[in-house]
Amino acid sequence: MEEQQHSAFGFDGSWKGYAPIAFTNLLLMIVTLGIYRFWATTRTRRYLWSHSRFIDDRLEWTGTGKELFLGFLMVILILGLPFFILQFGARALVMRGHAGIAGLLGFASFLVIFYFVGIARFRALRYRLGRTYWHGIRGGSDDAGWSYGWSYMWKTIVGMMAIYLLVPRAMMSLWNERWNAMSFGPHAFESKGDYRPAFKRYLMFYLLPLIILGCGIVFAMFVGVGSIMMGGGAPGGSPIGALLGVLFGVGIYGLFLFIGLSFYAIFIREAVGGLSLATLTFAFDASTKDWVKLFLGDIALVIGTLGIGAIFLQYRHWKFFITHLEAYGDIDLDRLTQSDTKLSKHGEGLLDALDVGAF
Amino acid sequence: MPLTERIEAHPWHYDGRNANRWTPLLVGDVETFTLKGEGWDAGPYCWADLIALDAPAGEHVFGLKDEQGWRLGFPGALPEDLAALLPKPARYGGFIDRIGLGRASAVLAMAAAAVVFVGVKAPGWIAPLVPQSWEDTMGDAMAGDFGGRICHTKEGTPALRALVRQLDPHGTARSIEVANIGMVNAVALPGRRIVLFRGLVEQAESPDEVAGVLGHELGHVRHRDTLTAMMRQLGLSVVLGGMDGSTGSQVNAVLGLSFSRDAEHQADLAAIDAMRASGISPVPTAAFFARMGGEEAPAKAKGKAKSTTQPGRSIEALDWFASHPSSTSRQQLFANAAEKGRRYRPALAADQWQALQKICSADKAVKPGFDFGF
Ligand SMILES: [Zn+2]
Repeated sequence: MEEQQHSAFGFDGSWKGYAPIAFTNLLLMIVTLGIYRFWATTRTRRYLWSHSRFIDDRLEWTGTGKELFLGFLMVILILGLPFFILQFGARALVMRGHAGIAGLLGFASFLVIFYFVGIARFRALRYRLGRTYWHGIRGGSDDAGWSYGWSYMWKTIVGMMAIYLLVPRAMMSLWNERWNAMSFGPHAFESKGDYRPAFKRYLMFYLLPLIILGCGIVFAMFVGVGSIMMGGGAPGGSPIGALLGVLFGVGIYGLFLFIGLSFYAIFIREAVGGLSLATLTFAFDASTKDWVKLFLGDIALVIGTLGIGAIFLQYRHWKFFITHLEAYGDIDLDRLTQSDTKLSKHGEGLLDALDVGAF
Repeated sequence: MPLTERIEAHPWHYDGRNANRWTPLLVGDVETFTLKGEGWDAGPYCWADLIALDAPAGEHVFGLKDEQGWRLGFPGALPEDLAALLPKPARYGGFIDRIGLGRASAVLAMAAAAVVFVGVKAPGWIAPLVPQSWEDTMGDAMAGDFGGRICHTKEGTPALRALVRQLDPHGTARSIEVANIGMVNAVALPGRRIVLFRGLVEQAESPDEVAGVLGHELGHVRHRDTLTAMMRQLGLSVVLGGMDGSTGSQVNAVLGLSFSRDAEHQADLAAIDAMRASGISPVPTAAFFARMGGEEAPAKAKGKAKSTTQPGRSIEALDWFASHPSSTSRQQLFANAAEKGRRYRPALAADQWQALQKICSADKAVKPGFDFGF
């Protein structure tokens, strides 16, 4: 385990160790109508963090269920209530025949939500770094993410223009902007991810329609020939044709997913690879094959257990993340002093309410 | 235990100011302790200010109140005198640790059931206390004039009034109108307003069928079901729906169903009462339900209107919030309500009925309809 070559990051949790947490979380969430989930998240993270090693010591999660809960309540009051009233108003407008104004209102609220999704992403990262300790030192950010919200909005919109060609560039630019605002201890993160290495894989998305068309022609010919050979039955009537149709659909979906994962593998590799903290640099070595295995494993786990396995997904993803994460360089423990960034009192309420991921 | 008992240990320590891992000597008594490193001293700290944290097996780690990053770790098993002074780590959090997981789950499940029960019942208790004038104001604000989609004709409007007079002689509803919307549907809006949709009036085969539906909606108005349903929707979506997407909304949907069924049944009984009082037969309404029941009884509705709306489905949502009892049981309820030997008369004369059916098609001024997601 402790050879020189070994990764700076390691994970030593186990299914068996995590299962009591996962199942009691599920039980308590059911009997509290879901309210316990804030404490459940905290318990899960405490387990995952404490079984993640960086160099010579474990990470520590210090977030609490209470702060997550308060954050959620705050968002319900600040965002949820106005939106509920707005929805009511829009319904009334439609009934009175002012569908245009209702549409405009709807569009305006869409933009507001869009803006807050950006802020939520930023703050989730800030919250997670602020609650993560290593050697008694934590991370954080003094930026509240208000300007990131704007960047998120315009970069995403510009990215979607020009037939989505600028999406990878916008994604990486936002990643860099987010991480450049973060720090750990006294050191600021520096993020210089480059979208270009992943771009070729992204272009595969544009080839997909051609591939589908080609396959479709071959498929149609095949079915046509097949049905003639079967005795010229009604078109689409043969069970083999139907089966092939299903396979064709699944194949297209799988191909789409494969392209997405292969793009994402390179994208994350480049994004993490562009990240540094003082004298430390980072790397992420998961290949497309690893991502596909993770994804297929997720599906098998959830389907094979009729959904209950979903409570282990967080565990799987964290383990994947930590085991593929790598760091190089030295740390000067004397100079790694405590972070003086402000700690927010509330958790990931926004993120929680808007249901978006943090990374 | 003497107060002067001396305690010594060799923990590891992070001071929270930089990342160095110290290995000081801990010296203390039953109240406080100090840490003595090479060339530094820290403390005294109170044992009572320590907070137990998660630790890997075989280790015990503690934080200090209000000191971020301050950690004290004891490798190996704790000596008994030390263990007695140190706090125990929390497992599930709060009171669950104090009373145990099993008992806490039972208590919480009962509390959840109580919350759900109150959440279901409370709107029914509160709705009658809301001043009617408030509800009327809100209803008008919400619906307005339906964007000019209310149908009026010189013959059709009096025919509608004639029908209303029989079913609602005391004027429970503030307004009863036909809207230029093609769905087979009717709604009781907040503020004692009832809107019949054009599709309903056109697809009904007799005025008695319209009378049945109208009586049903009047039942909702009388019981203030719309206000109750709206309050319940608001309450549940905040309390449950907001808490957790999946569990909450499922609970919400199930409750919506069971609540509505009772209200719907009451509204059906009210319709039957109103029809009995005015001598209108409930049998055609039963036939109407049978016709609209979709798969159970194939629709015989006239071809052209049928294709645009799906009678089988729209009857399921006969009004705004409703998930209705099955058509078959409602059909039986109305069919059984017919009194043997009683002579019924049609709710409207033939010319009135024709005028009512044409109230929208003959209205040149009415705005074209649309389907909104009722
Ligand atoms: Zn109803």
